[in-house]
Amino acid sequence: MKNGLNAVGKYFKDLGTAVAKGDIWVKLSTVLMGAGYFARKQVINGIIMCLVEVLFVVLCVGYAAPNLAKFGTLGTVQFEQVFDPLTMTSTVNDYDNSFLILLNSIISLFIIFVFAVFYISNLKAVYRLQLKKENGQHINTFGEDVRTMFNEKFHITLLTLPAIGIIIMNILPILVLIAVAFTNYDQQHMPPNALFTWVGWNNFKNLFTSSVTVTFGYSFKKILIWTLEWAVLATFTTYIGGILMAKFINDKRTKLPKLWRTLFIISIAVPQFVTLLLVRSFFADNGIVNTFCTSVGFTDFLKNIGLVPSNLSYIPFLTNPGWAKVMIVIINIWIGIPYQMLVATGVLMNIPEDQIESARIDGANPLQIFIKITMPYMLFVTGPSLITDFVKNINNFNVIYLLTQDVFVTSDQLLANSNAKEIDLLVTWLFRLTNEYYNYKMASVIGIIVFIICAAFTLVTFTRTIKGDKEEEFQ
Amino acid sequence: MKKTIKSIIRHLVLLFLSVVWLIPILWLFVTSFSGYKGINTSHFFPETWTLDNYAQLFLRPDSIVQYPRWFWNTFVIAAFSCIISTILVLMVSYTMSKTRFPGRKGLMSFSIILNMFPGVLSMIAIYFILKTMGLTNSHLGMIIVYSAGAGLGYLICKGFMDTISTSLSEAAKLEGASQATIFFRIIIPLSKPIIVYTVINAFLAPWADFVFAKLMLNSGVATDWTVAIGLFNMLGKSMINKYFSVFCAGGVVIAIPISALFVIMQKFYVEGITGGSVKG
Repeated sequence: MKNGLNAVGKYFKDLGTAVAKGDIWVKLSTVLMGAGYFARKQVINGIIMCLVEVLFVVLCVGYAAPNLAKFGTLGTVQFEQVFDPLTMTSTVNDYDNSFLILLNSIISLFIIFVFAVFYISNLKAVYRLQLKKENGQHINTFGEDVRTMFNEKFHITLLTLPAIGIIIMNILPILVLIAVAFTNYDQQHMPPNALFTWVGWNNFKNLFTSSVTVTFGYSFKKILIWTLEWAVLATFTTYIGGILMAKFINDKRTKLPKLWRTLFIISIAVPQFVTLLLVRSFFADNGIVNTFCTSVGFTDFLKNIGLVPSNLSYIPFLTNPGWAKVMIVIINIWIGIPYQMLVATGVLMNIPEDQIESARIDGANPLQIFIKITMPYMLFVTGPSLITDFVKNINNFNVIYLLTQDVFVTSDQLLANSNAKEIDLLVTWLFRLTNEYYNYKMASVIGIIVFIICAAFTLVTFTRTIKGDKEEEFQ
Repeated sequence: MKKTIKSIIRHLVLLFLSVVWLIPILWLFVTSFSGYKGINTSHFFPETWTLDNYAQLFLRPDSIVQYPRWFWNTFVIAAFSCIISTILVLMVSYTMSKTRFPGRKGLMSFSIILNMFPGVLSMIAIYFILKTMGLTNSHLGMIIVYSAGAGLGYLICKGFMDTISTSLSEAAKLEGASQATIFFRIIIPLSKPIIVYTVINAFLAPWADFVFAKLMLNSGVATDWTVAIGLFNMLGKSMINKYFSVFCAGGVVIAIPISALFVIMQKFYVEGITGGSVKG
């Protein structure tokens, strides 16, 4: 933390030195960015800097200013359409589109920030040039400058393109999402026909209140609990299952281990959405499993012991909340174990054989070896990926959505009021809120909450992978 | 004697488990040859066998089924996004692994935090951004969605590059090679296994993705869809009784290229995942 503050301090101190001690050309560069380069005969650099500056001014006046002016209100002019019966055409007024204002303002702020950084580093560079000249050092020609981009500054060349992609696909959407969480953007406030505006922390308050009209608090609590239960269950069942399966198949006493492994891997080869949709039909209320269970009398047996409501003639595999939750976990085991088995196989092969051997000589039984040697080793190696899996499962959209969409209908009125279902994860809830109900404000709030939860869990791995970074060790 | 019984039990358990794992796949396969179009709820195996489902899939496109078109759409999207994301990943991995510059660690930490944010959550915003650019329901939009942020997924590839000895690049540097030369002539040829892994992974993602395609390709016009959306649509409430067997045929067909790639990748799969997670 202190290092970070020092770095920031140094950053601005360098800027101060550059401006204070710079000669007239450096000072002139504060206004005309290319000035310092012209003075050191770097004409092309100078022209490029000037062009960047002109481009920025044009962007500011033509794009950023009009949008930022409306950023405080997100627009005031309502969409109006006037139909002219004489010419049979309708004219639309010059209305404000709240979303575009929001989006463009965020982009504008981002451009201004980037330009500011660029501007400061330009001043420092110009000052460095002055020092070089004073000390009689060689000043690069444009051609040499270009060449450094493929050598000492190669990282800048390489990172530019990926960084632009990441800004567009990751950073910008996150900023927009955070902004939308503080507005009333929903079905009643949909641009272009209606405006939306800032509402402060209201949406966050709504998420934590339960009243007769607002049931988000009730749903949020229920769904959060199920999401965490699901993530724990899904992660550990497949993890343990995968290890056991790998051990079982790779055991010396198993004949043809390759054949068995291939049989299990076949199920991965079919894409998840196909298998999930297929299994959903498999376990449908009038599906083939139900036909089978009825004909062997299993349905009646379950009815007798009270696991199936007596008014049903089928087992509600994916339509009753309790059954559906169990089935989802089981189906996920079916999906996940082959993957985990592959990973575990790789790790198990690397376990130092001599440890196990000496334990066996000392009289340890297989269970003791598994608990005392194999598992600690597995946990040591795959620990970080276990947490990654956990976070992935919190956001496991496919399994829940594909298994239950169009099939599961909730009977809990309170959940239905906030468009939630018992089997929803926070992500699927968020998805349906946006895709079916256009409730963007609440979806954004949920998105932020999920992020905080995931971030908290990942912080553990994060400190391990960054701080305990052993990248130099292998080189 | 006791040993043989134990061995038999062991293999019976394995047999039972593999049956459990293969039943749905077998059902998919046999139903794709079913003469009855809807779901056969009373028999596991179809009563009449036919190749008609495959014929319908490829030869008789209608407003619901446009399989050749979907296949082509998905292929184009997958091919382009695979090329772009592989290039981006290689660029970032090399920078993070082999070059040293101030702020590198900070950038790495930042990228890890950013990568924690699940794409699913910000997809609404992505949707609107692409919509304002007029890129929803287009190949270009989907390619951007799948590949633009790919640079963040560099960790596994970087972990691999970390293991390439620096003495090689040091020697090249003494001979006067620039960083660019080292990147293209030394590191890339040595990273072949991880490049294959990255390429196949990036190629498979669009075939398996459902969420983004569902959100972005919302025109309702069947010719715009990818395979995933098209197949999902066939199982809608009003369609399922007319198209279930056709869906199964589609599922079998899509599994063929994916399994082929998967067999190639399997070798790298175990290595890649465990290697990357240990070394970060």
